[in-house]
Amino acid sequence: MPWYLHLALRQLFPTGRRFPFFTLISTLGVALGVMVLVVVMSIMGGFAYEIRHLIVDTEGEVQIVARGPVSDYASVVKRVESVPGVAAATPYARDAVMVKFGDKPAFPMLRGLDLGSIERVTQLGRYVVVGSLDDLDDDSVILSDQIASSLGANVGDSIEVYSPLIINKLSADAVFLPRQVRVVGILHIGHQQLDSSTVYGTLRLAQDLYGLGSTVHGIDVRLNPGVNEDDAVARVNKVLPDGIRAFSWEDSFSDFLWVLNLERSMIFFLLLFIVIVAAFSVTSSLLISVVRKTREIGLLGALGGRPLHVALCFCAQGLFIGVLGTVSGLAAGFLALAVRNDVVLWVARVTQRQEVLRRFYQFSELPSHTSGSTVALIVVLTIVISTLAGTIPAWRAARLKPVEALRSE
Amino acid sequence: MSEPVLSARALRKSFRSGDALLQVLRDVNLDVAAGESVSIRGESGSGKSTLLNLIAGLDAPDSGTVLWGGSPDTGAGRRAAYLGMVFQSFYLVPELDALANVLLARRILGRIDAAARDRARSLLGDVGLSDRAHHLPSQLSGGERQRVALARALMNGPNLIVADEPTGNLDERTGNEVVELLLGLCASADTALVLVTHNASHAAKTRRSLTLTAGALGGS
Repeated sequence: MPWYLHLALRQLFPTGRRFPFFTLISTLGVALGVMVLVVVMSIMGGFAYEIRHLIVDTEGEVQIVARGPVSDYASVVKRVESVPGVAAATPYARDAVMVKFGDKPAFPMLRGLDLGSIERVTQLGRYVVVGSLDDLDDDSVILSDQIASSLGANVGDSIEVYSPLIINKLSADAVFLPRQVRVVGILHIGHQQLDSSTVYGTLRLAQDLYGLGSTVHGIDVRLNPGVNEDDAVARVNKVLPDGIRAFSWEDSFSDFLWVLNLERSMIFFLLLFIVIVAAFSVTSSLLISVVRKTREIGLLGALGGRPLHVALCFCAQGLFIGVLGTVSGLAAGFLALAVRNDVVLWVARVTQRQEVLRRFYQFSELPSHTSGSTVALIVVLTIVISTLAGTIPAWRAARLKPVEALRSE
Repeated sequence: MSEPVLSARALRKSFRSGDALLQVLRDVNLDVAAGESVSIRGESGSGKSTLLNLIAGLDAPDSGTVLWGGSPDTGAGRRAAYLGMVFQSFYLVPELDALANVLLARRILGRIDAAARDRARSLLGDVGLSDRAHHLPSQLSGGERQRVALARALMNGPNLIVADEPTGNLDERTGNEVVELLLGLCASADTALVLVTHNASHAAKTRRSLTLTAGALGGS
């Protein structure tokens, strides 16, 4: 090992002393910054990841929509399923309805599912907590748990469904009767918005309610694992008739994802300042070290050490603090992520705010998804910033002339 | 006749002090042969340390030349192998133990192997510190620290050792021991020595004794 690296290590970890105060404080500062960056970026990444997971689980990776209803959808589904990379496709109809149980109303979206193909495209059945998708027929629905809760309806109850056609019928002075359907299941997805606003029925029920006849509102598509979504969308669009377009889930939620990414970038930038402030502390400590060790620096020159190597000795101390702080920060960050739900639930329980937490953060658990590229960016930036923190002291040390340094008091 | 280990010719050095120009060294000439020991005495402020700094290549003369073995290259790269230095204040690295301090001289040359470690241990044995190899400088007495510094100066097998008042911070008995050790080690390694000292008895032990007076070097 070159002498300047050896000396840098020895100055950070002197023989016979476990962890000097300067090294401890400097490392803790950097580690704290890394830990906060990892935890916050992972939790923010978790929100995006969970949203993608829920969308893909309930609607597939690709959505096909038209300006109006899609006619002859069976032929469109057949064409789409012939595209390489497409696993399956399923038509759907979706619009707002009013549901009523007793005197309690709710205004969810009712999504009509094609029972013959829905399970090849979505994982919806996994989220049915009471009953089953198999129990669904043209006179029944599955309620999301929050709708069921707000209506006070349970499996086996009969609820009334009022479709948008009521407006047309009212204007034509026609007699209007709501559709009576049974509740055959309760569904819990784990996303507050979906759990509070969705009802599932059969495609035929939805077509009847919305007056669609044999048309549908769109087609959801599941891709084979590992297939690039953008490439698949391009291939699907080539087989679609005019007026019908395919979008990846990222296209469909592009505004939402853009805001999410902007938030992540801003928070990353702001939290990076913790590392920068820690780096200033490293600079300050190393500058003091240069002043304190002036005669030693002179000695190194007298022994034949070159100014560049003297400079590298101090830069290396910044580098080692950066590496140590990064490793400690990553370990602490991942540990904090591992116990995040326990901590959040404990805080919510103590403050009696569990319901508020669920309402505002959409998910029943605090999600986390750590992206490799984000961790790599944190590691590289932290180590570079810490190493740069050593450059000013290094420059000061390199400028000292041995003969003057040895004479200093 | 072989080339002198050190050859200083017409060295002049001055320092500015306010408006005044202090002429510290005036046409100093000095030749030191291989294995020779030379002492330089002089009053405080007579320019002994300045001369030593010029000899060691740590400072540049206003005029004149310093040759090491006939070569004008007195840069840091060559200094590590050619020259060993001993200082009044020892200048050991406090974070390194005695063995690592001795090895530091070799590390700067870039070569650390088992042979180097054996040599460092052997030198510590030569200065009587075999059992203190893993003690930090703070755990050693002044005399012991200076012995570690002697071992460090000899680590790279230099042609020349320059010692700037190496006994200045030691009591008389320890100072005598250190000078005896220094002279003995230099003699056994056939290493030339330039010893700056105030002490007449120490100077008398060297082969040649010189005096620096008003910036000029004279023999005695």
